[in-house]
Amino acid sequence: MKKIIQYLTVYLVLCIAISSAFSQGLAPPSNVTAVDTPNDDGSSITIKWDAAPEDSGISGYQILRRIAGGGLEEVGELLPAGTTTYVDSTIEKGNAYAYIVRAVSATEATVESEETAPVSGSGEWFHTGKIPLLVAMLLFSAAIVWNIYDARSGKEIFVRRIPGLEAVDEAIGRATEMGRSILYSLGLGRVDEVPTIASMTILGQVARRTADYETPLRVPCRDPIVMNVVREVVRTAYLDEGRPDVYNEENVFFLTESQFAYAAGVDGIMVREKPAAVFLQGQFFAESLILAETGNSIGAIQIAGTDSEHQLPFFIAACDYTLIGEELYAASAYLSKEPMLLGSLRGQDWGKLFIFGIIVLGVVLELAGVNWITTLLQRVS
Amino acid sequence: MKRQVPLILCFAFGIVMILTQFSPHSFSQGIYEEVISWTLIISPFALVLATATLIQTHVARIQRRTDHWQYSFVVFAGLITMVVIGVPFGPQHQAFEWLYTNIQVPMDATMFSLLAFFIASAAFRAFRARTFEASLLLITALIVMMGNVPVGDLIWNTVLGWLPLEDGASKARQWILDNPNLSARRGIILGVSLGIISQSIRIILGIERSYLGGGD
Repeated sequence: MKKIIQYLTVYLVLCIAISSAFSQGLAPPSNVTAVDTPNDDGSSITIKWDAAPEDSGISGYQILRRIAGGGLEEVGELLPAGTTTYVDSTIEKGNAYAYIVRAVSATEATVESEETAPVSGSGEWFHTGKIPLLVAMLLFSAAIVWNIYDARSGKEIFVRRIPGLEAVDEAIGRATEMGRSILYSLGLGRVDEVPTIASMTILGQVARRTADYETPLRVPCRDPIVMNVVREVVRTAYLDEGRPDVYNEENVFFLTESQFAYAAGVDGIMVREKPAAVFLQGQFFAESLILAETGNSIGAIQIAGTDSEHQLPFFIAACDYTLIGEELYAASAYLSKEPMLLGSLRGQDWGKLFIFGIIVLGVVLELAGVNWITTLLQRVS
Repeated sequence: MKRQVPLILCFAFGIVMILTQFSPHSFSQGIYEEVISWTLIISPFALVLATATLIQTHVARIQRRTDHWQYSFVVFAGLITMVVIGVPFGPQHQAFEWLYTNIQVPMDATMFSLLAFFIASAAFRAFRARTFEASLLLITALIVMMGNVPVGDLIWNTVLGWLPLEDGASKARQWILDNPNLSARRGIILGVSLGIISQSIRIILGIERSYLGGGD
């Protein structure tokens, strides 16, 4: 028994000695700096310090801060060893804060760095990290605007054939010959979404033709605001064609805001009314195939278009023609043949050419061991 | 004037909203959030519009005795029941929640589950090996399907065990998804992004005006 007590005493003394040796050897975090976080709204301060050696015995860091003239307070949780940066997003604007980084060992021994100079957060008016993005956007916009105004000179602009848009007349003609209606769905998008606006443009062109042929055009809407804008688009198209008498406001109607109830409603209209042509243009989600397959089952000629790459395979499988991605946005220019709109398409192609060039150059440079394009793109993203 | 004011507003707000994307300052972010929150104001009006249009459409159907006009009574029954329970007692009320959970959710799920059958019928048509492209699609689909199920690798390892590639089905599937599939998707995304920018510029500059309810 006496021996056991002796062993335990020796063990305890050793433990205390080792822990005290470690705590004595715990070096304070060095080169601690606190700066206003760049490119933010002034709501944070970034604290940085040098990495401690692996055998330093540090198991974590605790950040402490002091508002000028006040006491020290802990900020956030204990940071793991190896951390060298902390962003304090809990500051109040207008106050200056001084920071201390406290190193903590496994035995809870602590040592603190020197206090930094007080710093306060201030918002930046311009995000310098977005300069490459701004330059790319300006270049691309300039290319589009230049081409739009160049198109005014009357130069003929070549636009490749888009089968889905070529088939619009065929679909409307077929419905007219069969004496059946045309169903046009703008999908689930809201009025502030670009695919919905692009779809409205196509609808305007479709409505002009249906006005000429007196073919009923049915437009079930998922969003009441979209419904009102669409009513105006269709009404104006009929007016422009000199056929306001053919326009029937009730043909543009609100169905429901619920995704699958909308799909059920549109499916029901398809099955009951058997439209000869179905247009599915805009933003679609999981209901895309439900709509397209029902349209297929009634034998309607179907022209779909969406910018969602997840729904495109469904449309391609189930529809006769599909506008793939950007073709949806090219539709207004293609159908109207308006030179200024066609000019914007050419500007868009210049943008694609530029990106293609960057990709090829990036690949070649990467193969040669130069990675500045990759670094630049990573920084932008 | 009816056309000019919306175009000026569209131009001004378009430019301001673009600028806010490049300025992290609280002032510009405040403008951004404020403008976005304005869209919420439209929602109550939209709700009234939606209800009015729905009632108008179905009343007209009943009056004219169009095909299946009886179903319009189901619409009114649903609308009135939810309003009578939801408006005075709120959406947290037990009866309201019960109706939502036991009627709307199962009906939504029913429609969603139809997707499985539609996928099968669409895949059957798409994968018929009538052309070279369709055959390619069929082979690729088979590899991806086999790679998605555990039995795919089992078959691979049993039948093609002599090959120096273990679990080839799942590896081939992953390669297809990571390379040709991802490349095509990114190509579409790039085109779509440029298309959106181009469309936005046309709208901001007032070249694209169809959303105002007229021609171009």
